[in-house]
Amino acid sequence: MKTGKELKPGTVLRIDNDPWLVQKAEFTKSGRNSAIMKTKLKNLLTGYKTETVYGADDKLDDVILDRKEATLSFISGDTYTFMDTTDYSMYELNAEDIEAVLPFIEEGMEDICEAVFFEGRLVSVELPTTIVRQVDYTEGSARGDTSGKVMKPAKLKNGTELSVADFIEIGDLIEIDTREGGSYKGRAKK
Amino acid sequence: MKATWDIFCTVVDNYGDIGVTWRLARQLVDEHEIAVRLWVDDLNAFVPMCPGADAAALQQWQQGVDVRQWPAEWVPIEPADVVIGAFACQLPAHYVEAMRARAKPPLWLNLEYLSAEHWVEGCHGLPSPQANGLRKVFFFPGFTEKTGGLLREATLLARRQAFEQSAEARQAFLQRLGVYPEVQARLISLFAYENTQLGNWLDALAAGSQPTHLLVPQGRILADVGSWLGQARLEVGDVRVRGALTVQILPFVSQDDYDRLLWSCDFNAVRGEDSFVRAQWAGRPMLWHIYVQDENAHWEKLEAFLEHYRHGLSADASAALVALWRAWNMDRDVGQAWQAAQQHWPELQQHARDWAARQATRPDLAMALVQFYRNWL
Repeated sequence: MKTGKELKPGTVLRIDNDPWLVQKAEFTKSGRNSAIMKTKLKNLLTGYKTETVYGADDKLDDVILDRKEATLSFISGDTYTFMDTTDYSMYELNAEDIEAVLPFIEEGMEDICEAVFFEGRLVSVELPTTIVRQVDYTEGSARGDTSGKVMKPAKLKNGTELSVADFIEIGDLIEIDTREGGSYKGRAKK
Repeated sequence: MKATWDIFCTVVDNYGDIGVTWRLARQLVDEHEIAVRLWVDDLNAFVPMCPGADAAALQQWQQGVDVRQWPAEWVPIEPADVVIGAFACQLPAHYVEAMRARAKPPLWLNLEYLSAEHWVEGCHGLPSPQANGLRKVFFFPGFTEKTGGLLREATLLARRQAFEQSAEARQAFLQRLGVYPEVQARLISLFAYENTQLGNWLDALAAGSQPTHLLVPQGRILADVGSWLGQARLEVGDVRVRGALTVQILPFVSQDDYDRLLWSCDFNAVRGEDSFVRAQWAGRPMLWHIYVQDENAHWEKLEAFLEHYRHGLSADASAALVALWRAWNMDRDVGQAWQAAQQHWPELQQHARDWAARQATRPDLAMALVQFYRNWL
């Protein structure tokens, strides 16, 4: 059993006996301290996709999934090929299947990901909680702030934009927390 | 045969939940000829807004609505055609099981809180397939066409207009409440949660050049009013004068009388959800005290509404309005913000009327629910 607030990309729910993959999950406070989770689901048998909403406390049947370590092998158009690190099997996913982590997927990344399998089929990939990426572009420090509290926009190699500390420069490596959409965590050691 | 609807309401800590569901139930009965059962877990909160109701009755008919005590120990009953769980309340497990056992399960709606935030449009009307095979649908009230709209009875604005055009009706209503304002006095109603800024505002009203008659229905703000007046306890009917300000304590009135109170005043301070919506329909300048949430999540809701509401105001009037609302909700100097808002009073008055008129062009919440049910059939 999972509750609505525990849903995250990669979770597979059993609804009307069909397996549904959570492709995207957005948590929102609704009112009087109740909350809802908006999700994008994909039926793993038919490929049909739908949007749903769950209350934070709704109880849902989840499917126990197989998980293996995998790395990104290469990207070809909208197809992302991952390799099982133990037996070197290759698995393909399209961009939609990994929509939630897509902003932090880039060619050459060496992160050990968690590949999620349903009945032997790769259905999703989860990134480590902390990843390191290089800043491709950001404006120079405007205020010379070194506290890390003043933020400014920055762009990664794959075009993803996020807020970073004001002292971060082009070429710096930064740590990113991949949970809840991804956010700057700090400067990484080179 | 009439469609049957069950509305479930848990009273959390105020009158908002029961206020909205009672209003919705009445409107469904009055305007859509629907048989409505309203299940309430605490009828003590219901009685003040429906004088004559019995807080101990297991079942009672009030204005055409079958009002039921929601018992701790659920007694099996045939589910209705449409089931509304208001504000994410959890339905009795046995009732949900009975819904599942029906040949055609009912339409199950989760009626959510009112918010002007953008994400509401993307969640309104979305299904929520449950583990037990039932499908719940999330239904969001709101201020745009992509939401479920606001509660508004078909005759509301006509009744308001008739009341406004009759000085006698206004006078008779106020006299019934024991209110006899000075001829030149500005009338303000105050319904709010506890607010540390109240004193600043009352100081400004007391020091003002125009006499103000402040009407305070019983509620959570009363202790702060008493504190400002230097009185430990205030009773219904108490009238106190400080400078240009007269403060009068009113009883908690029925929903219909509360509308008349809003229509009688020049400015309305309201709170939560139900009185907030009614103040908008009153078409007068208003001040919203929003329900406080963890991590100040309510500030985003406040800003989201202001973003809609301020549209069409001049830059200066807009800034004054926003400053006043933020001051009231974010513990800033309300007295100063109040003075600034006075500079734009005619514009704020016209804007309030325009806002009500614009919102009234959209289908109301009860109609939207009924239409949703028809489409679902």
